[in-house]
Amino acid sequence: MYGRVIGVTVVGVRGYPFVVEAHIGRGLPSLTLTGLPGAPVQDARDRIRPAVESSGLEWPLRRVVVNLSPANVRKDGPGLDLPIAMGVLAASAQVPGTALTRYAFVGELSLKGTLVSTPGVLSVAMAAARAGLEGVVVPAANGREAALVEDLRVVGAPSLGDAVGFLRGAWKPPRVEPGRPSEAPISHAVDFAEVRGQAQARRALEVAAAGGHNALLVGSPGAGKTMLARRLATILPALSREEALEVTQLHSVAGLLDGGLVAERPFRSPHHSVSIPGLLGGGSAYLRPGEVSLAHHGVLFLDELTEFRRDAIEGLRQPLEDGRVVVTRAAGSVEFPARFTLIAAANPCPCGYEGDPKHRCRCLPHRVEQYRQKLSGPLLDRIDIRLIVPRLSKQELLGESPSEPSAPIRDRVEEARTRQRRRYAGLGYPCNAQLPGPTARREARISAGAQDLLARAVDSLTLTGRGFDRAIKVARTIADLAGADEVSADHVAEALSYRMNVAEESLSRAG
Amino acid sequence: MPDDGAPQRWPEDFADGPGNRRALLVLMSLRGLTPRALLDVAERERTAEACLVAVRRGDAGSTADRAFARELDPSRIEAAVSVCGAKFVTAGSAEFPAQVENLKDPPAGLFVRGQPLPARYGTVAVVGARSCSDIGRELSRQIGHDLAAAGVCVVSGAARGIDAAAHEGALEAGGHTVAVLGCGIDQAYPPGSRGLITRVAERGTVVSEFPPGVPPEPFRFPARNRILATLGDALVVVEGAERSGSLISARHALEHGREVFAVPGAITNPLSHVPHTLIREGATLIRGVEDLLDDLKLNGEDGEPLPLNVTLAEQAALDAMTGSVLPEKVARELGVSVTDVLPLLLMLEMKGLVRSVGGRFEPTLRAKRRARQPATS
Repeated sequence: MYGRVIGVTVVGVRGYPFVVEAHIGRGLPSLTLTGLPGAPVQDARDRIRPAVESSGLEWPLRRVVVNLSPANVRKDGPGLDLPIAMGVLAASAQVPGTALTRYAFVGELSLKGTLVSTPGVLSVAMAAARAGLEGVVVPAANGREAALVEDLRVVGAPSLGDAVGFLRGAWKPPRVEPGRPSEAPISHAVDFAEVRGQAQARRALEVAAAGGHNALLVGSPGAGKTMLARRLATILPALSREEALEVTQLHSVAGLLDGGLVAERPFRSPHHSVSIPGLLGGGSAYLRPGEVSLAHHGVLFLDELTEFRRDAIEGLRQPLEDGRVVVTRAAGSVEFPARFTLIAAANPCPCGYEGDPKHRCRCLPHRVEQYRQKLSGPLLDRIDIRLIVPRLSKQELLGESPSEPSAPIRDRVEEARTRQRRRYAGLGYPCNAQLPGPTARREARISAGAQDLLARAVDSLTLTGRGFDRAIKVARTIADLAGADEVSADHVAEALSYRMNVAEESLSRAG
Repeated sequence: MPDDGAPQRWPEDFADGPGNRRALLVLMSLRGLTPRALLDVAERERTAEACLVAVRRGDAGSTADRAFARELDPSRIEAAVSVCGAKFVTAGSAEFPAQVENLKDPPAGLFVRGQPLPARYGTVAVVGARSCSDIGRELSRQIGHDLAAAGVCVVSGAARGIDAAAHEGALEAGGHTVAVLGCGIDQAYPPGSRGLITRVAERGTVVSEFPPGVPPEPFRFPARNRILATLGDALVVVEGAERSGSLISARHALEHGREVFAVPGAITNPLSHVPHTLIREGATLIRGVEDLLDDLKLNGEDGEPLPLNVTLAEQAALDAMTGSVLPEKVARELGVSVTDVLPLLLMLEMKGLVRSVGGRFEPTLRAKRRARQPATS
């Protein structure tokens, strides 16, 4: 009375196959789980018997022991219901053992025996393919997601009964088509054409997109910071298939996936009350990716940057630097990819109206300084583009001709990115923003005139060392957008207009 | 009892002799005893010592003053005065500024650090908003600079914004400047102006009617303004929002026959409120520092070297700017793209001819002056 089924547990975003062994022996009816099951799996014990019985199958009224092997990996997540149930059914000879070794099983069961949509199925399917299995049995709702993995047979079963039927050869599962992204053109809900005015901000975001630069937008309430940030995702280059799979995998693990491949660059805008596990990933029972990982290959927008908790902001340093987050728990550490473009927005002062020609700022000067201090610090060092977004008057808005739509901007961005990839092919940096300062200075190819301008800027604009490097990187991106091999003085001059040193500015004002 | 509006003088021998001076130090430290109230007591008692006895007896001042007056040790106040390098100048003495004695409620004495106080003629006060605009700050600095360069003493209140800029400008030109404090002579308020106050004390004069240790309190600033406004022969208001201290200063100046100048601004700008109110009441409108120098008959030749070597494109961008404008407006005027205009504006900014305020760009006073230059020469 022994059964053996393959399941997959997801740690971080990676799936790890394991074996479910079930043994039915003499004794009072009971179900024992061994082999380091996590709390959610223990929880599944009471769910499996009703699910089996509701499916017209028989639950062995004897002592059932289920072992999850290897025992050194903690198995977590609701997707283990189906492999455990299958193990018991195999041990009680209700399903043939032949197909069981060739398929991995995943899915959460309801008490009625239906298979419920389960997070992380894409990671499971990828692990199954890596392990050389023939196919996976997944909930029907997750079928399209699993089908993204090539050369893997996907069985999307609506219920436990159907899965058993498939193994018995009594039910022929329909073919599952993966959601292919290339078929439908990407239709964004928003477009840059909808932004009126704000030419400088639009241009700055184009530069940010082209060079992968992070940006800070400072402006009064109602200036349109959120509107601009939301549209950045529409001008970023299209996702490659590998990138799209990574994004899909992360969204799948987080249980946010709805259908097949995520073809659009994600835009995440967590509220400033977000907790640290919520932002960076983690959680007590089951480690979930945080907002930074959900924004992987997309845009992370932090509105009201100064309202975020200090430690949450500090925590952003690692993903900004390494493109990943490592969440460490007593049981071990888990890594989530998190390479995103950060767009932060803030008011110029606590009341929000400093520098506004119409509203009078009602803040005490030292409060403004304290507020600016909050904006400075290590995070700001990683933000290459800083911009003041003015609140436009009615006349200024009405005088504007319609703006350029996102599509041609994206074409320019793609071209600039291609130039960067070609240039840095041997160095392993994807874009200008990722270059360390010395490399940027060496690789940028700055013309003599531009050098001269930079040197003068150090004096007349009190440019700091880091500000200098930032200006070079941004100027390089502007040159890439213009298709120029060499960075000219004009490119540097434009780059310098996106500098705005928040902390230093407040110092100069105090005098 | 004299009429409230009539000016009143301190009795002849009010502060004569060391005993009286010491008593006056105590009297001036009392929170509840304003110069006005003290004058009434002095009318009766004639000398400072007698006034102090009256206060200790309870015949004048508040009950808190009475207790406080008993505790205060005049020699400790004297020590504190000398520690901060100040001098105590009593009304009626030769060093006491005569122009201040004509106030309705003149102070019985002043604490002076640094150089002696200037005479009324050849002294101009510059006042304005603390949270001023960048253009206001630049103008104030220029006024302070040019007045000082013309040999005029610049008086202001050492507050942030317009006040600080006026002092800085005067110090830059190496001229005499006077900071009138609204707190004890040894205090620095606002804390951010500490460095400025020290420099003014080194090269100019810091003055206060409050003895050492008196904290800055809201009611002391209007009192300070009456001295600030009357030390000079004229008063310039650069920027001021409704209900601000600048208006109080200007009213004092007008009341005492000082000339008042005001710099206009956009009617939508809340900081234009005080200058516009004053212009309606008869203050002289000035369009910049040249007007002020002309009116004060101080205009010599223009000393500041002007930055030239502006490219044609930069000049065109400068000409296209009317007030505070968005970069795309300049681009539209020139018929080029924003991408082309941003470098031009940055170059102009580096040359000090343009400044960026809250995402818009405006020409600086230097640029305006430059524009006028070819026409005049």
